[in-house]
Amino acid sequence: MPRLLIDFFAQAYSYRHYLVQSVRRDLAKKYKRSSLGYVWTMLHPLAMMLIMSFVMSHVVRVQMKDYAVFFLAAVLPWNYFNSTSMMSLNSIRANAKLFSQIPIPKYLFILSISASNLVNFLLALVPLVLVMAITGKEISPTILFFPFLLLPLYIITISVAMLLAVSNIFFEDTLHLAEVGMQAMYFLLPIIYPPSMIPDRVSNILSLNPLFFQIQSIRNIFYLGEMPNLFFFFLNLGVALVVLFFALKIFKRAEDKLLYFI
Amino acid sequence: MLSQSDINKVSVRADLDCKVGKDPMDSSLAVSVNNVTVSYRRYHQPASSLKESVIRIFKRRKTPRYSQFNALEDVSFSVKKGEIFAIIGSNGCGKSTLLKVLAGVLTPSAGKISACGSIASLIELGAGFDSELTAIENIFLHAALHRKPKKAVESKISKIIDFAELHDFADTPVKYYSSGMYARLGFAVAIDIDPDILLVDEILAVGDDRFQEKCKQAFRDFILRGKTIIWVTHNMGFVAEQAHRALLLQKGRVLYMGDPKEAVKLYLDPSYQTALA
Repeated sequence: MPRLLIDFFAQAYSYRHYLVQSVRRDLAKKYKRSSLGYVWTMLHPLAMMLIMSFVMSHVVRVQMKDYAVFFLAAVLPWNYFNSTSMMSLNSIRANAKLFSQIPIPKYLFILSISASNLVNFLLALVPLVLVMAITGKEISPTILFFPFLLLPLYIITISVAMLLAVSNIFFEDTLHLAEVGMQAMYFLLPIIYPPSMIPDRVSNILSLNPLFFQIQSIRNIFYLGEMPNLFFFFLNLGVALVVLFFALKIFKRAEDKLLYFI
Repeated sequence: MLSQSDINKVSVRADLDCKVGKDPMDSSLAVSVNNVTVSYRRYHQPASSLKESVIRIFKRRKTPRYSQFNALEDVSFSVKKGEIFAIIGSNGCGKSTLLKVLAGVLTPSAGKISACGSIASLIELGAGFDSELTAIENIFLHAALHRKPKKAVESKISKIIDFAELHDFADTPVKYYSSGMYARLGFAVAIDIDPDILLVDEILAVGDDRFQEKCKQAFRDFILRGKTIIWVTHNMGFVAEQAHRALLLQKGRVLYMGDPKEAVKLYLDPSYQTALA
């Protein structure tokens, strides 16, 4: 098992020049084109936050303290996971021509998509901190743990992205299934509501989702100012590595067959 | 000659070993292909949807899902360093599959390929280009796909732009290029990778006569530096005049290998053409 993972990280590292350049290109494209540029990265989560806050306080009428921060701190990691997976879905198919010429790893574009989205994710933390400052929420030093919590999230995200991209080659329906699946996950994870609202018997099942504790612990360092639980951190990391291992195994098996399909 | 560490930097293939010392490969050879077979599966119902797969499980696969089809069958040959090696044959004889196997993007179903040195292909010009980026940005990106850092390319930018004759358009996104400009840039970038073995697929229709002459000169320089070109083409005049040796394929098998003039003669022979029908 470690061999496969080490090879993967070593190969990814050997393409660092490409990854750096492609991230720069993606950012330049995104921010050069639209007139508001970087502002969109901030406005988008803020708009979502305003909508959710309105729905929660005036429609559903659940009163929660600092709901804006509560929601933003969880929806940002979710957005990272969701957009990376969905953007990667077609990455192998779309680059078929390139793959039939240059022997590059088929997951290279998934890595570059996830890296670009990671930068966007980091930029979107600026509005989160701004909202915390404006609403008078205490900014606890626990937010410095953020980079550590990012690691398992990053690993699980590229694993899911790889599985979806491979599946998309063999099954045309992957896109539709993934859309439904992502929608379901958005509501089944404690993003818009606190985990305390989930009844116990359902909670046991829902917490099997590896993202359940990950999103929780990222939110808690911002919202509660709570130290990450070391046990959960290593559990998350371990689970993420196991998922990556299986994703790589499936990916490797499919890789040789890919060119016959695309 | 490149050292082994240079080779590792350029090529990704694990099976690309050049064991000249320990004798699996003759030191005068650039590529050696041994009993390579590539089987494609011809799916009776391709691009299956989930629904079809589920139905198929219940049907318990009474009908086979695919039939085997050998695009290449037991192909063996070797290419010497410093030669222009032509691969000819009619459409569908396996030329492109062979190039993909040589480029390392397709793993053969059976057989082994050893190559001494780095391999790059000039199959489709500009396949990796991002249309939103300028020529210079694309040059950097393309080099990065070959794991070359920006620093290694910076000094060569002006040479590449010179070769492609794109001085006035170096900062224009390539989507505004004419197809000729695009292909010229593609050619200049690919030749700049400067591999030990270059795979070419019928691309000398780039630009006008003058530019084509320039491409030919670039290939000549390439050969003079002791490097190797493997060329897939339908241009029989070129094969007879320029190639050192030629390989004639028929339905995925080697029909003839050796003297290019003889290969062209066999290719043009009515018996070769009728054997396909």
